[in-house]
Amino acid sequence: MIVPLISLILLCPLAAFAFFGLMSLARRSVPRQDYLSTAAMLFALVCSLLLLQQVVPHPEPHTVEWISIGKISFSMGFYLDSVTAIMLIVVTLVSSLVHIFSMGYMHGDPRYPRFFAFLSLFSFSMLFLVVSDNLLGIYIGWELVGLCSYLLIGFWFEKDSAANACKKAFLTTRVGDIGMFIGMMMLFTKFSTLALYGEDGIFALAANLSTGDMVWLSIAGVLIFCGAVGKSAQVPLHTWLPDAMEGPTPVSALIHAATMVAAGVYLTARMFPILTETSSLIIAYIGGITALVAATIAIVRVDIKRVLAYSTVSQLGYMMLGIGVGSYVAGLFHLTTHAFFKALLFLGSGSVIHAFHAMHAHSHDEHDAHGHAHADSDANEHTHEDGDSELVHAHGSDIPPDQDMRNMGGLRHKMPITFATMLIATLSISGVPFLFSGFWSKDAILGGVLERAMEWSSVHHYVLFGMALFAAGITAFYMFRLIFMTFFGEPRNQEMHDMAHESPKVMTVPLIVLAVLSFPVVNVLWFNDAYVTPPKQPHIHAPAHAGVFNDTKGTFSLFGVSEAVAAEEEGAHDTHADEGHHGHSPAHTIAMVLSIIVAGLGILLSWLFYHRRTLSAESVATTFRPLYHLFWRKYYFDEFYNGVLVALTVWKARLFAQFDGTVVDGIVNGIGRVTRDILAAFTGFFDNRVVDGLVNRVAQVTWAMGGRIRRIQTGAIQTYLLIVLAGIVVLILVFRAL
Amino acid sequence: MSLQHYLVISAMLFTLGIFAVLTRRNAISILMGIELILNSCNLNFAAFSRFVTPPENIDGQIIAIFGIVLAAAEAAVFLAIILAIYREFGSIRPNEVDTLKG
Repeated sequence: MIVPLISLILLCPLAAFAFFGLMSLARRSVPRQDYLSTAAMLFALVCSLLLLQQVVPHPEPHTVEWISIGKISFSMGFYLDSVTAIMLIVVTLVSSLVHIFSMGYMHGDPRYPRFFAFLSLFSFSMLFLVVSDNLLGIYIGWELVGLCSYLLIGFWFEKDSAANACKKAFLTTRVGDIGMFIGMMMLFTKFSTLALYGEDGIFALAANLSTGDMVWLSIAGVLIFCGAVGKSAQVPLHTWLPDAMEGPTPVSALIHAATMVAAGVYLTARMFPILTETSSLIIAYIGGITALVAATIAIVRVDIKRVLAYSTVSQLGYMMLGIGVGSYVAGLFHLTTHAFFKALLFLGSGSVIHAFHAMHAHSHDEHDAHGHAHADSDANEHTHEDGDSELVHAHGSDIPPDQDMRNMGGLRHKMPITFATMLIATLSISGVPFLFSGFWSKDAILGGVLERAMEWSSVHHYVLFGMALFAAGITAFYMFRLIFMTFFGEPRNQEMHDMAHESPKVMTVPLIVLAVLSFPVVNVLWFNDAYVTPPKQPHIHAPAHAGVFNDTKGTFSLFGVSEAVAAEEEGAHDTHADEGHHGHSPAHTIAMVLSIIVAGLGILLSWLFYHRRTLSAESVATTFRPLYHLFWRKYYFDEFYNGVLVALTVWKARLFAQFDGTVVDGIVNGIGRVTRDILAAFTGFFDNRVVDGLVNRVAQVTWAMGGRIRRIQTGAIQTYLLIVLAGIVVLILVFRAL
Repeated sequence: MSLQHYLVISAMLFTLGIFAVLTRRNAISILMGIELILNSCNLNFAAFSRFVTPPENIDGQIIAIFGIVLAAAEAAVFLAIILAIYREFGSIRPNEVDTLKG
């Protein structure tokens, strides 16, 4: 059952892409093709749900040989364990909802069919990556995902910023991919295979490596993680992701929730068995730094989508941190919960933008089919009442007015459904206790870090815990800042506010579905310890630490593997049980209490700053001006890359061009001149004098001789006859003499 | 009569022919010289055949007859050429026809 189901899941989006891609190329319009693509995705979702029951504890990969070169052969195949199954559901579910949402959001776009074709290809790539049992398949899916993100981020390629953003995304992730490829090749040279599972797979072989090979394995692990750094937008390769906001908002939701960035976390989790202590620590640090850096940048953003983008980067840092400290389950758990609430936040922001966008399209620019593409000059003139305004004004004029939170406010009455669903997602991401899934997953990671810190008495892990905790507080702060600025208070831009309206049902229904999933209904999949077992790592010789929810076994063993789906529906009551079990581990209790405190603090501060306005963000910004500048300028990463890397490359290119122009061209021209002036002159002289002279001399001699000899030719026959006769007589005499 | 008599006659005819060919100023006379040469050859063939080879072998005589026929054909061609030369140059004197002079 497994192979046909997985094949179906892969084929649905692929067929949709192939069919509609061809139709789009042929410029034929298919009636209601968006329904067909969406139906294909929904069918894949159903298949994924069916697959959930097929998971067995120690699965074997289903492979076929693909290419064989000499003694080396590459196989292609599927591997279905619990992680794969859950990822399949997340991807197909989010993708389906994004499809549905796009029907409303992208309505009227001139390239509407192409958009759906790309979405299908994107989903296919991610699904292929998830089900592959070997690094080669993962790499193929990985690059396809990169390609699709390039196509979709640059979907409105008429806009310069979108065209630049898609190139930036593609090139930045490519930097990481090179590291990943080198890592793969290192593994391949060692093990002569790229298959991960089975007796001859990398994991089985890596487990038998001697301790001397650990350094080598660490390097390979870190290099493969480089790919994840690029794809999952970890520091220092995170800069592409906020720029990727130039794509249509549903694409942002898909990239940030289910596909592109999840791929990096998924890869890191897949490679978990070969992560050594060193590489784990590097991953944890990069994750922790990313979480903190991105969160602080998000505080000062005013573009609603950029806030969410940095929040994604920050949350991805959390996941990496979780995996890095060995909380395999916690990291993936956060990936799942984050996928749902982040998709919800993005689609919600899309709904808000759509409300404003519709206004632009009607009032100003009837003919412009995608009003996002153009900054509306009218809207830029409106006053910026917000706290950040005086500093923002200098840099922030390139933000599209329909995405600028300073133009929003008081929208909760206009868009009640969007407001309610986004509030749920915000509560979830901020870690509001017990009722929201984000709390459980974030707390799982925090607890995992603290537990590892206490277990190993490791300074590193205490530092990491501090970073994660601080980032959690900041997350709560900036997420509520977003909510307050967008939905509360007085409308700051009356004209835009008047035109805003609730989005159509096709857009609000996905929001509601995702809002339901932001409650801890998905938790049951992860809380069931029998279902997800973290693989062993080389540096942990004790029985593998069964994730954060080690002690849930007692509580949840009554849910069989096959009953997981059924249990999902009644998931709400799990939370009570979880509360109970968390008490068992002191680390988790401490982490939970601390995280509740920082989240509460963050929300409180946000409320004081942006709702009650008892504290002034402006004065704080002025007081900590250098810090504010640092955050506003995103730690100068872009400036650094542009100023150092890009400038260096350009400078280097100029230098080479100059070298080319002077030295290489000089040599070529010099050789040319030498050849022409000296060599050619000499050979010309030789040719004219010697060769021609010889030929002419021969001709002259011949001519002169001919002049003499021709006298013999008298023309008189009788003379000839006389000579002949004389010849005969001579011959006779000669023969007589002989 | 022995072979020598025939050969002497033949040699005389040949010499006369050569002399005519080399000295005459008229193409017709040259033709007549050539005929003499040919006939001296025929005489030789017939004489050798009669005196040297066995009597039943008459190859020499046959070749002599061939030679006569040949001479007739040759004379026809020669006369035709002379006619053409006359039309072209208005003369049949060989020393006046020297267009191929080098």
